[in-house]
Amino acid sequence: MRFPYCQHRHSSPDPKAPALEIQGLGVSYPSEEKFVLRDIDISVSAGSAMALVGPNGAGKSTLFKAICGLLPVRTGNIRVFGHPLGACHHRVVYLPQRSEIDWHFPISVLDLVVMGRYVYLGWFNRPQKKDIEIASHSLKEMNVLDLADRQISKLSGGQQQRVLIARALAQNADLLLLDEPLNAVDESTRQTVSEVLHKIKAQGKTVIVATHYYDQEESRYDKAIYLKDGKKIGG
Amino acid sequence: MALLHYLTDPFQYAFIQRAVIAAVIIGLLCAALGTFVVLRRMAVVGHALTHSALPGLVIAYLLGGSLFAGALIATVLTALGIGFLARDESVYEDTLVGMIPNIMFAFGILLISTTRSFRDLFSMLFGNILGVTQGDLHLIMLIAAVSLIVLFLFYKELKLFTVDPDYAQTIGMPVKALHYGILLFLSFTVVVGIQAVGTVLTNALLVIPVAAARLLTDRLGRMIALSCFFAVLSAIGGIYLSYYFGSASGASIVIFCSLIFAVVWLYKFIQKSMW
Repeated sequence: MRFPYCQHRHSSPDPKAPALEIQGLGVSYPSEEKFVLRDIDISVSAGSAMALVGPNGAGKSTLFKAICGLLPVRTGNIRVFGHPLGACHHRVVYLPQRSEIDWHFPISVLDLVVMGRYVYLGWFNRPQKKDIEIASHSLKEMNVLDLADRQISKLSGGQQQRVLIARALAQNADLLLLDEPLNAVDESTRQTVSEVLHKIKAQGKTVIVATHYYDQEESRYDKAIYLKDGKKIGG
Repeated sequence: MALLHYLTDPFQYAFIQRAVIAAVIIGLLCAALGTFVVLRRMAVVGHALTHSALPGLVIAYLLGGSLFAGALIATVLTALGIGFLARDESVYEDTLVGMIPNIMFAFGILLISTTRSFRDLFSMLFGNILGVTQGDLHLIMLIAAVSLIVLFLFYKELKLFTVDPDYAQTIGMPVKALHYGILLFLSFTVVVGIQAVGTVLTNALLVIPVAAARLLTDRLGRMIALSCFFAVLSAIGGIYLSYYFGSASGASIVIFCSLIFAVVWLYKFIQKSMW
């Protein structure tokens, strides 16, 4: 028996629709009048890699939070794989900046990565052997399988980032929203993340990466979108 | 065999048997829920709720109604009130948490001061585990059983919701309901805890065993198990203390619990300095 967290969140993606289509989007934080994002139009075709570029405070994280349903949409609309927001959320994974997680919580790395499977388990079901295998496999892909039993507070910045990406991989989503995955990590993590992003794209998945380092990474993306002061600039 | 006598002597009294059973169950409940309260950084909210129960207790006492119901209504209203007032952030939540329990506490004392019955105030403030009746015990068992079953059923969700609430929300978990659910069960637990150690000291049972357990392990499951073990030890140890030294039962339980924390802390401190 399965009891999904949200009944209507498990529609199958429409194969012909773009991975992400945003029209006239306006977002503000709850109980605030001022819009953080205004008049945003974006279309990202399935299987592509897009960079989201802009200075701090431009609204990159806000855009991601709106796409994955953490912030309410005030104007316009967002469609993911042809469905309205929230209809296929197991297909979307948002990788927050590392600071938004309680790294002192008493669990192991493997436990944290297994959480990527919860959306498939729903209420009451405990993770099965298969879920643990998938989580271990994701850790292996990020070259951190040896950390599986480590307490999450004992990770370096780069290791934290790898573990979070492993959790995103364990969810097996089709649209990945990565918020500054390369910010303040070591060179070898940067290497691994780049390789894995490449692999994800080769599997036909869609990746959107908020980044500070677009100049050095330009060749990895099919397209870039520039944000400034909550507005899209340029084409 | 003198030592054995020391251990078995108190148990010849039915009221002490009941007190021990009640204290053990309350300790288990406080420790299990307290783990999530501490990890969610809600220890001050627990403090606020325990103190806010007083006017509910007093009103129920004055009207001759159920003290349980009175305390429960007061704590639930406080929990919801803090949540509601903190919404628009015109007053910080920690300011509210610092204010409201004192207002509620003062209100409770004001009410009872009109009756001049300070003996009953004493047991409300500091608990009266030795006065637990058979009926109280059944109610305590019922609330503890329901709360522990709910904790067990939603363990996985509470874990994720605590470590990474944003991710929990993106996969469709009803995070607001989980938050209010924790507050509701915290209210139940507080009301049960008041029976044992009173409004002033209940928060100690929610926090101290968990703090001691946290020093010894960095796995959630083991942490809950250890907290429960410490809480049970405190409950039994405190009642022995109270029996042999004639000390107040609630305070004895809390002091016993604090001693466990002190020993664990010292152990960790010495272990660290040796390396």
